[in-house]
Amino acid sequence: MPGSLSILKVAGFKPFFAAFALLFVLAHPAAAQLSFKPTAEAVQEDKLLNALKEGDKISGRVSIPDGNAANLIQPAGRDWRDFHRGTLPWIGGIAILGMIALLAVFLMVRGRIRVHQGLSGKTILRFASFERFTHWLTASCFIILALSGLNVSFGRTLILPLFGADAFAAMSAWAKLAHNYLAFPFMLGLVIMFLIWIKDNIPGKVDLEWIKQGGGILYKGKHPPAKRFNAGQKGIFWIVIIGGTLMSVSGWFLIFPYLPGNVTALQIWTVIHAVIAMLFIAAMLAHIYIGSIGMEGAFDAMGTGEVDVNWAKEHHSLWVEEQQKKAGAPSDRTPHAVPAE
Amino acid sequence: MARVKFLCDADRCIECNACVTACKNEHEVPWGINRRRVVTINDGKPGERSVSMACMHCTDAPCAAVCPVSCFYTTADGVVLHSKDLCIGCGYCFYACPFGAPQYPKVGNFGSRGKMDKCTYCAGGPEADSTPAEYAKYGANRLAEGKLPICAEMCSTKSLLAGDGAIIAEIYKERVTKRGYGSGMWGWKTAYSDSPTG
Amino acid sequence: MKVFVAALAFAVVAAVGVAMVLNTIQEPSSVAFSTSGARVGDPGHNLIGPS
Repeated sequence: MPGSLSILKVAGFKPFFAAFALLFVLAHPAAAQLSFKPTAEAVQEDKLLNALKEGDKISGRVSIPDGNAANLIQPAGRDWRDFHRGTLPWIGGIAILGMIALLAVFLMVRGRIRVHQGLSGKTILRFASFERFTHWLTASCFIILALSGLNVSFGRTLILPLFGADAFAAMSAWAKLAHNYLAFPFMLGLVIMFLIWIKDNIPGKVDLEWIKQGGGILYKGKHPPAKRFNAGQKGIFWIVIIGGTLMSVSGWFLIFPYLPGNVTALQIWTVIHAVIAMLFIAAMLAHIYIGSIGMEGAFDAMGTGEVDVNWAKEHHSLWVEEQQKKAGAPSDRTPHAVPAE
Repeated sequence: MARVKFLCDADRCIECNACVTACKNEHEVPWGINRRRVVTINDGKPGERSVSMACMHCTDAPCAAVCPVSCFYTTADGVVLHSKDLCIGCGYCFYACPFGAPQYPKVGNFGSRGKMDKCTYCAGGPEADSTPAEYAKYGANRLAEGKLPICAEMCSTKSLLAGDGAIIAEIYKERVTKRGYGSGMWGWKTAYSDSPTG
Repeated sequence: MKVFVAALAFAVVAAVGVAMVLNTIQEPSSVAFSTSGARVGDPGHNLIGPS
């Protein structure tokens, strides 16, 4: 080609040029090693995954203000999925169905616990209207919370096939709203319950004796003495307060997910929320049973607030004595009966 | 039928965020919703690598497994999509997703947390393909037009690959062989446990 | 019965009140995930519907 550099045609140019260039390379300080491993310290995905401890995440830097975006891989999501679709249904099924079965057997074997002496027709005030209000506030919220919560865990398997995806999703959307908003009056009810009933729910010697006699629950005519609340009721009180508080705290973090801020903490809160819920529901089934069909005369306590005196003498003998001392009159209800405090 | 996947070659990613920008533009993704993001591991240190991450469209998707209203479905191509009509915005899919793909329009989980949004592999949703209704809810449907996701198309270094899982796995293996190194097929073991190497 | 109905009514009223309060403090992600340096005029409504 005319005009091409004739120097290139000179024999030996290329090797000379190469040697000349090599001088520049060798002159560079780093060239002393002359080996260049671009990946020597590169993060390797499988090494990172193997190094992760339980619940850890692989995370880095992002330019997005949302902290969750910095997580690249959180393998704990897989364990959470296994728990919610595998383990939790077993826990819930055994707890709830098991309790229902237990109560059914109990009803068949022991039957309805009757007032041994028969109903007297005379009553004594057991719960003032404010106490009953608080109980029904908490209880009605609990029913909706329990049903909507169970819908989240089991609805897809049990209810969706019956109603189809659209109807089920619409119902579930409302259920979720009800769950989220009724949680607040439920929490209020819990606080009030704690304040008005803690005094009568401190465990004592009478409770030990009551428990030793099995609450008299298995034998007709056996009625160990009890104060305003017997040991079984105190157990329910503490289950409600402690369980309810755990549900409230875990639920609070789930409804305000930016508070814990990271997905691992949220996973832990959902596990607590779900497991306690299943056990709580099982316990409440027993409470509802004994307060309704399980025991004659029990429902009146929360229904009208007035209970039959014979029922009270059999199940809360010490409380009846206290009340009669306060009122200064024998077993009849006086027009100005002191409220059962 | 091809089973489509994403593969981000972390040794090529230069954190330019073209994939993020392309996705945001193509689907008019609102501010605050991050369908795709670039995460930089070991930022500033030797061995720094960047990975472009969005929904991986997992085999046996955990999001689909935990959804209380079962609003997810997997197409014949392996794309994991969901119905915003059924979604109740509970957040379970976010807890289960190993890659943090689900996004929500509002931050508190009550009332109007809003419908979950995520990468759709540019395959829209249950609405009719390529209609304004589908675009308003799920964004563009490139797959219906025979195109691949815009993020991979726009990748400046061709680090983000999208398409038939077997083909992109082959491409990546060729690269690893040719250059002699590769930091891994990020997310493949977690997402595609049935075929973690392609 | 009166007490029971009163409790139900209170629960519903409380829930509605809580709903109103919470929806007022609810933050859209465009606000929650933008730093002070970003001035977001119209965050966009595609994919998420009108706010």
